[in-house]
Amino acid sequence: MLRYAARRVAAAVLVVFGVTLATFLLMHLEPGDPARAVLGLHATASAVATLRRQWGLNSSLPVQLGHFLSQLVQGNLGKSYIYNVSAASLIGGRVGQTAALVAVATVFAIIFTVPLSALAASRQNGVADHVVRALSVVGLALPAFWFGIVLIEVFAVRLHLLPVGGEGSGFGGHLECLVLPGLTASFAMAPILVRSLRVGMLEVMDAEFIAVARAKGLGELRVLFGHVARNALVPTVTLLGLNIAYLIGSTVIVEQVFNLNGLGSLLLSSILNRDFPVVQATTLVLGAGVVIVNLATDLLAARLDPRIRLR
Amino acid sequence: MKGAVLPTPGQRLVTRRDLLKYGVAGSAVVLLGPLAASSASASARARVSAAVRSSNAVKRGGTLRFARSIGPTTLDPANTIIAGDIYTLDKILEPLYVTNPAGQLVPWLATGYELSTDHRTFTFSLRPGVKFSNGKPLVADDVVFSINRTRKDAAGPLSFLDYAITDIEAKGTDSVVFQLSQPWAPFLSDLSVFANAVLPADFAGQSEKDFFTAPIGTGPFTLDGFTPDANSLTLKANPNYWQAGKPYLDAVEFLYVDNDNQRVLQIQGGQVDIIDTVPPANVSSLKASSGLDVDLFSAWQVDLLVMNERLPQFADRHVRRAITYAIDRPALVHAASFGTAKPGGSFFPPSLQYYSASTSVLEYSLAQAKAELAQSKFPNGFSTKLLIDGGVQKWVTFAQIIKAQLQSININVDITPLDHSAFESTFQKYDYDMFIDYAINDISDPDEMASFEVDVKDGGSESYWSDYDNPKAIALVHAAEAEYDATKRAALYAQIQEIVAEDAPFVALDYPPYIYAVSDHVNGFEVNPGGAYRLEDVWLT
Repeated sequence: MLRYAARRVAAAVLVVFGVTLATFLLMHLEPGDPARAVLGLHATASAVATLRRQWGLNSSLPVQLGHFLSQLVQGNLGKSYIYNVSAASLIGGRVGQTAALVAVATVFAIIFTVPLSALAASRQNGVADHVVRALSVVGLALPAFWFGIVLIEVFAVRLHLLPVGGEGSGFGGHLECLVLPGLTASFAMAPILVRSLRVGMLEVMDAEFIAVARAKGLGELRVLFGHVARNALVPTVTLLGLNIAYLIGSTVIVEQVFNLNGLGSLLLSSILNRDFPVVQATTLVLGAGVVIVNLATDLLAARLDPRIRLR
Repeated sequence: MKGAVLPTPGQRLVTRRDLLKYGVAGSAVVLLGPLAASSASASARARVSAAVRSSNAVKRGGTLRFARSIGPTTLDPANTIIAGDIYTLDKILEPLYVTNPAGQLVPWLATGYELSTDHRTFTFSLRPGVKFSNGKPLVADDVVFSINRTRKDAAGPLSFLDYAITDIEAKGTDSVVFQLSQPWAPFLSDLSVFANAVLPADFAGQSEKDFFTAPIGTGPFTLDGFTPDANSLTLKANPNYWQAGKPYLDAVEFLYVDNDNQRVLQIQGGQVDIIDTVPPANVSSLKASSGLDVDLFSAWQVDLLVMNERLPQFADRHVRRAITYAIDRPALVHAASFGTAKPGGSFFPPSLQYYSASTSVLEYSLAQAKAELAQSKFPNGFSTKLLIDGGVQKWVTFAQIIKAQLQSININVDITPLDHSAFESTFQKYDYDMFIDYAINDISDPDEMASFEVDVKDGGSESYWSDYDNPKAIALVHAAEAEYDATKRAALYAQIQEIVAEDAPFVALDYPPYIYAVSDHVNGFEVNPGGAYRLEDVWLT
């Protein structure tokens, strides 16, 4: 187990390094000048050149890459051109928001998935099953930016039950502000999970040990959650892990729609401003987040099903 | 030569027509004198006239919640050009003159000036009784320190505005003497830019870095501490503010919401009181919402289609004129701005001083367009590319309409959308055929726009990267800079506008306004044509 984890961590470092390198090259090959973003159209050519020199943007690409990597190895993520503070401090101020969003969305996804798939599986080809399956197709087809706006329009603008956007103040206010974004993000993954868990449960239901459980006289609910769900969960957990990874990427959109100051919106604004150090640092952190979630998923799957051998 | 013929402090703030229009409210403005009038101004907004009418019933207190599209990155006036910075720091730090909502200069930290007979020495008297937020009085040394700091900062984005200044000296504690290298008519206007705001000398004993985390100024509001990249910022009323009884608000909370939809929904949901940069497409639905209103404020802004004169087709004057004739600007405005903007004509927007309404604009005419193209070296048309910032829906719509309209004179247009940053660096390298962008004036004097668009050598942008070069127009720009007589200046700028309209180096597509949505309980909110708003006059009911 430990050796497995160590190997996975080593592989993860390589993946993150690859992501960082690709980001560096893409950002620097794309036209656009951070000095202009800071100095404006009226700036003289010499003022722009001075600033570029200050930021080291005048040296060749390999030299810039070498400098970036040597700083990175020392744990220095660089300094934002736009805000003039370290990229690490910008990320530190925002990482909590994104983590909270991902956590709330995951909780919502689980809350939707387990009862809905149990309902559908227990009434195979019945009305409930068809409704759940139809809903999951509709859910899959809803783009997050549109669905988010609909939720805002209904729950915030018309019913005044929840805030339109922003972050609120205090723990309660903060949580309140995460309800609609969390719902929006969870709708991107719950449909897949429902379908996966339903199929898994149907397969398990045909197994002999379920017949045995029923023959013992266990109640239907107990059979469903204690035996069927438990055994059908493994593929769904793997899928959940993959979807959280996907969700981390899609926070860029959800944060925009709900005006959350997380890593996604930081990434977007930094790309538009050509704030290279912040883009680098944010992709690094997001990339590491995805890799960590995947690793945790594999470990959890092994724990749920001892037949899975970690090699 | 006191007051001279420069736009005189406090002159004409209320016309006869305004008086007739506002009745009692108008006379109240006159009685309150120039300063109060500057806040009420000549804008035809019912809410404001109501505010003035009941000015004895102003309600104090409360926090204004203001959602803006862009947040601040720094509060140093000498080192920024970004709207999020400017419209935060201008509530804390003030210049000697400001531009009121009607677009006129009014004395602010100065009360007036004397001009020497050679037109090169300005002596300003400072307003008595002005204190910084730390309680220290404003003195001449503060002005000398601040403006020297701005003008000597080579990397300062707007330090070019101070280029005529050769020396600044304090005369006693209450007057400041500016020496200019030449007679320079835009001078007062240059002084009014936010970059020339007055700080306490030597940063009141702090380090520069510390100072700008909690700047000390003479403005109506103060800030406890600045955190870059925060999602909101709260300004508090300055108890030492020199306009007695103001600001009316206890505090202003700026929230940064860069997503257009979010801003619109936040004001519809009652989460904020004012939003800026309302997309034109949302104007009618917002107007229909109860409890709020949409306000349009005219801007010193013009949207331009720029043509690259380094290419043979656009070096040909007939081609440029043909393109201008072929673009139906009223149709463009109707389709893309939902009636909020005005169709373009002169390259000066109508809100700008010395705009000439009699400029011979090449109005839309397909027959004229075809006739011009027939006289050019490209009578059978050609294929070309149109570069735009693809992130702005308005430009996308503009580009599609222009493509369709130029098709009718056999000019085939390929649209190239890039993101903002790539777009700017591409046209600045002349790696384009045509592009669409907007031009703005930062100050009330039109010299900035005239030099930037026309003076290919010294204007700073090679005629907005068009490389347009007309020596006669350039000579007129310089003549207008040295001319203090308003009538003569108006004639010079009318000639410049006429030449540019005839040469057609760019097509003035439209004049868009600033669009704000404002809750009904907000009173006295107005924006000047430079995009700045002063919040000391705002109150909540």
